[in-house]
Amino acid sequence: MSVLTRLVRKLRGDARTLAHAPLETARDVAYTANGVWRGEISPTKPVKTLGATIGALIMVLALLFPIYWILLAALSPSGGSIYSSAGLQLLPRDPTFQSFLWVIGDLIVPGYTLTINVPLTNLAVVFDTPEIVLLDVSRYGIDNPSDFKLFLWNSITVAIPTVIISMCLIVPAAYALSRKEFIFRRKVLFVYVLMTQVGGGLGIALLIGLYTVYVQFGINDSKLALAVYYAATAVPFNTWLLKTYMDGIPVSYEEAAVVDGAPPWRVVTEVILPLSAAGLATVFIFTFLTGWTEFVVAQTLLGTENYTLPVGLFSLVSEYSIPWARFSAFALTFATPIMLVYLFAQRYIEGGLSFSGMEG
Amino acid sequence: MSPSRVTRHIETIPFLDERDVPLLFVLPGLFVFAAFMLFPVVYLVGISFTNAKPATLFAGEGAVSVLTFGEATLVGLENYASVLTDPMFWNSFGVTWLFVATSVVLKIGLSLGIALVVTSERVRGKRLLRSFIILPMGLPAIFTITVWRGIFSSAEFGLANQLLTLLNLGSVAWLSGRWSAFFAYNVTEMWLAYPFMVIITVSALQDVPEELHEAAMVDGAGYLARFLHVTLPSIKRPVLFASILTAAASFQQFLIPYVFNQGGPARANELIVVYGYREALAFSEYGRGAAISLVAVVFIGAFMWLNVKRGRLAEGVAEQ
Repeated sequence: MSVLTRLVRKLRGDARTLAHAPLETARDVAYTANGVWRGEISPTKPVKTLGATIGALIMVLALLFPIYWILLAALSPSGGSIYSSAGLQLLPRDPTFQSFLWVIGDLIVPGYTLTINVPLTNLAVVFDTPEIVLLDVSRYGIDNPSDFKLFLWNSITVAIPTVIISMCLIVPAAYALSRKEFIFRRKVLFVYVLMTQVGGGLGIALLIGLYTVYVQFGINDSKLALAVYYAATAVPFNTWLLKTYMDGIPVSYEEAAVVDGAPPWRVVTEVILPLSAAGLATVFIFTFLTGWTEFVVAQTLLGTENYTLPVGLFSLVSEYSIPWARFSAFALTFATPIMLVYLFAQRYIEGGLSFSGMEG
Repeated sequence: MSPSRVTRHIETIPFLDERDVPLLFVLPGLFVFAAFMLFPVVYLVGISFTNAKPATLFAGEGAVSVLTFGEATLVGLENYASVLTDPMFWNSFGVTWLFVATSVVLKIGLSLGIALVVTSERVRGKRLLRSFIILPMGLPAIFTITVWRGIFSSAEFGLANQLLTLLNLGSVAWLSGRWSAFFAYNVTEMWLAYPFMVIITVSALQDVPEELHEAAMVDGAGYLARFLHVTLPSIKRPVLFASILTAAASFQQFLIPYVFNQGGPARANELIVVYGYREALAFSEYGRGAAISLVAVVFIGAFMWLNVKRGRLAEGVAEQ
């Protein structure tokens, strides 16, 4: 069964539970009300439950309010409603998608002229591909759209090499650490676990060293060099994560394959890799997000032309006056896809953080 | 090369034998990681003994000038002496530890509270609430921090000031005052770190044996007594583990001060990592910046080492 079908099935299960939840609740409430009516259940208990649930709901809403607030700002016309002195507003006043249009900018595939020479003659066939206009923001009164697409392209060209390089480094190492016994194995694992905890901040402390070396080699403005750096920083945590995932695959499967006469490389490609698909997917997401969300190193090393999305976002803030609506729309367009991916991957991430992973 | 030839080659190396071949799978990752972590450390140590400035450091071209630190000259321990006698450094050092202390206490308090609410037996729909409450973990740090900078915006329309206006209090220029900015850092750090802490605390709370609670209830213990004598001792270890990790994160906090006000006002709130970074890249004192960064690295390393040793974090790894 492929990962995708499993994922779809899981999501469907979630959706069903969610859809049934109101029904269940209604049945619960009816039962309790009935019980109280007939005097079988004391009324204080349901009241307490109701109070506690409402309290918990208010807590959750309060904690997530900043996200809602930024959405309000993004929907307001040029940040207008936040500028107003009317104080806090809980519903958007005349919401508009103007700022999101400013972020996305024009979506126009320009027309090309293709010329094909017919062999042995002087004739040529000329095609004019039509200009495809998906979205022309100047029609909505936006003249100077953001550089979002440039940043997006930069982010993609940083994140994809990061994923490829780090997967090449992580997968064989995780397999060896999980299944083989060799010299220094425990030392390597120990260093990786330790680095999992201190890696991020250490990176910034060492940034001066990294920066000077990169400048002296003249690769400080190279997206590929940045991707190699990200891949290197992603190694300890993700190797460890994938290794713990592979530890969960029963050895008997491999033994069965060996008994059937499979050579070692086929055991890996036909047993280990398919069975660790979920672990591989998690590592894929994590390494992708390393390159996608990192800010400090990218901001220090890259020039304006090569800014990735996080740096682009910050460059909006560092201006003298922040264009609130536009900044909010930009931030949400950047963060929402990641948030959705995270929501789906949540189970795996929680599993990876559990203590079962601490066993060598 | 065929596998058997690789094996034969490996066996000619002292200390290694045939079964150590899998080491080859680990080496590329280890090598790349070491190249990008160890080499900058070594280089940083080198720079910290020179008077490197952009003009001297980047003077040469290519590999040779990397090794000679451009045209910078060696000054011995001068940088360390000047850093360690600089009141700025001690200010930054103190603020960093203060930030670690306050933010860790706040983070533990908040996440313990949240975890108790979302595991309480009185609350319905706990699973749904939980998956929403840890949502901020999925947001990129730079997004969260820039949004919080907006919340603490000094103008009337920042969310924090709007709330104050609702309560009929005057607005505050959050990021221009030293302690108000420090308070803003703490609140943001709290919001940034609570999902991680909540995940660990919730799973610890769920592992508390039900029988213990029932026994305590039979003995007539109230909610508070049960919390103090049953819940807390059972969740102490995982929460301690999470606190150590989050303390290390607080110590290395860079983005919040940098994005909020560059560690201002007037460099008063530069946490140590920001201080080193700005000294080198904003004020062109590479030697001093390197020395400061190294002092920070030594402290992070010592802190983590102590905790790993005492808290036996990597128990499973070390014992096998």
